[in-house]
Amino acid sequence: MGNLTELGSDIRVALRIAALRLRGQMQYRSSFAMQIVGNFIVNFAEIIVLWSLFQHFEDLGGWTLEDVIFLHGLSMVMFSLGDTVANGVQTVPDLIREGNFDRTLVRPMSSYIQAMVNEVSLRHFGLLGQGILLLGIGMATVATDWTLPKIAYMAVVILSGMALFAAVFTIEAIISFWTVNSIEAVNALTYGGSDLGQYPLHIFRQGLRFLFLWVIPVGFMTYYPSLYFLDKPDPLGLPQAAQFAAPVAAIAFCVVIGRCWSFAIRHYRSTGS
Amino acid sequence: MRLFVELARRSFAQTLAYRGATLAGIFTNGVFGVMIASVFLALYQSQGGGGEAVQGWTRDQTITLVWINQSMLMTVYLWGWWEVTRNIQSGAIVTELLKPYDYFTYWLSRDLGRALAHFLIRGIPTFLIGVIVFDLLAPASWLRGTAFLVSVAMAVVVSFCLRFLANLAGFWVLDYRGVAAMFTAVINVLSGMLAPLAFLPDPIRIAANALPFRAVIMTPNEIYLGQIPVLEGLGFQATWIVLLVFGCRWLMAQGERRLVVQGG
Repeated sequence: MGNLTELGSDIRVALRIAALRLRGQMQYRSSFAMQIVGNFIVNFAEIIVLWSLFQHFEDLGGWTLEDVIFLHGLSMVMFSLGDTVANGVQTVPDLIREGNFDRTLVRPMSSYIQAMVNEVSLRHFGLLGQGILLLGIGMATVATDWTLPKIAYMAVVILSGMALFAAVFTIEAIISFWTVNSIEAVNALTYGGSDLGQYPLHIFRQGLRFLFLWVIPVGFMTYYPSLYFLDKPDPLGLPQAAQFAAPVAAIAFCVVIGRCWSFAIRHYRSTGS
Repeated sequence: MRLFVELARRSFAQTLAYRGATLAGIFTNGVFGVMIASVFLALYQSQGGGGEAVQGWTRDQTITLVWINQSMLMTVYLWGWWEVTRNIQSGAIVTELLKPYDYFTYWLSRDLGRALAHFLIRGIPTFLIGVIVFDLLAPASWLRGTAFLVSVAMAVVVSFCLRFLANLAGFWVLDYRGVAAMFTAVINVLSGMLAPLAFLPDPIRIAANALPFRAVIMTPNEIYLGQIPVLEGLGFQATWIVLLVFGCRWLMAQGERRLVVQGG
């Protein structure tokens, strides 16, 4: 990636491109509004079902409706931010299929940053809005005191989660350097990871827990910090440090994914036409 | 008729062709199935071990529904089919309509071929994962097992009609993404995709029980699990198929009258 000055100028150019793309989108105002509203409605419907279930069942693995709403909000916020950051990266499979990825390799700029700004869209802000709303409702209704350290750590957790989900979306791009056929499986990690993060981890079976804690560390972004936020016991019995592991886990994961990306770029062979 | 059988056959073969995508899809359905089933297990756990029925649904019935739903997901193909809308938007619909066959039947035949392929390569394997990982219930009887298959076929037709209707909105609105999101939200809740309709609050539940969305997901489940008489379920689906086919044809005619292509 070169030295730090180079990275700095890359980022400046990238921000310019991102701003231009956003301005382009804003020209289609009604379409933009439709997408955000639509995005909101789909998830709102799921919350209605969640609320309905709690009218008939007492709790979910010992967690109340308020606790689960908080967790939903937290997971949605980080997922929608990560999704937005990685919007362009999600177009890499298409770029490769059409043979358009090659041109990013000859430009004097990091190919990852170029991919990132290939598409910049705020369409998932409907989900973000809903996440913020649920997080707010959750914070107001759960039985816990919101101290300053908790609020400060939540900001760190949200940033970590955003980075994590952006990295998870990158897996799809990495796989597409070899095959563009099997990438639907990655949905289980991206959307699946975000869905799983909305529920207390201990209700899941060993296999899923392992996958979303030690392979894709979603559990360290949503569940474990929430144990700290909501003063809950840990039925899985990890040391207390696990509740504060979000930034470390996110950085470690991003480094691994970054290495995989570089490896993929080095072994990339164009579609050849 | 021969044409439509051939169309269905082609679309069947086309769907079978993507093997990597199939494996990936089964994996994804499996992961979501395990996740959703785990959430329901935990909910039932809060009800004293899950022995008792809640709103007429036992734990095992609900878990079986979760896996039937995950397995039927691709067969009924509720999400992401907007070919007709795209046809309308690009203007290609004009040449399509000039062709010497019925436009509605053309897409229906293709969809039936696709559905059969998805039932075989996506539905059955996904359900097998559920059988291996969880204790799923067998159909309440042999008759119900057979009726279930008939019901799934009818669910595909209802689903197709609903999608076709939603697609026709393209005649009136230019951007289908808002319509698509609305359609997905309504379908997810009112079909029973996310949870049995019995768990919904009364006004929504009563409405959902009468609406066609139920015929896509809930009715096959109710027949399989013995929740309603077989004939009642199949009759409900048949009634909606008749109404929806008429609805599709009527709306199609209305749309065609409105059609303006590039200043023509």
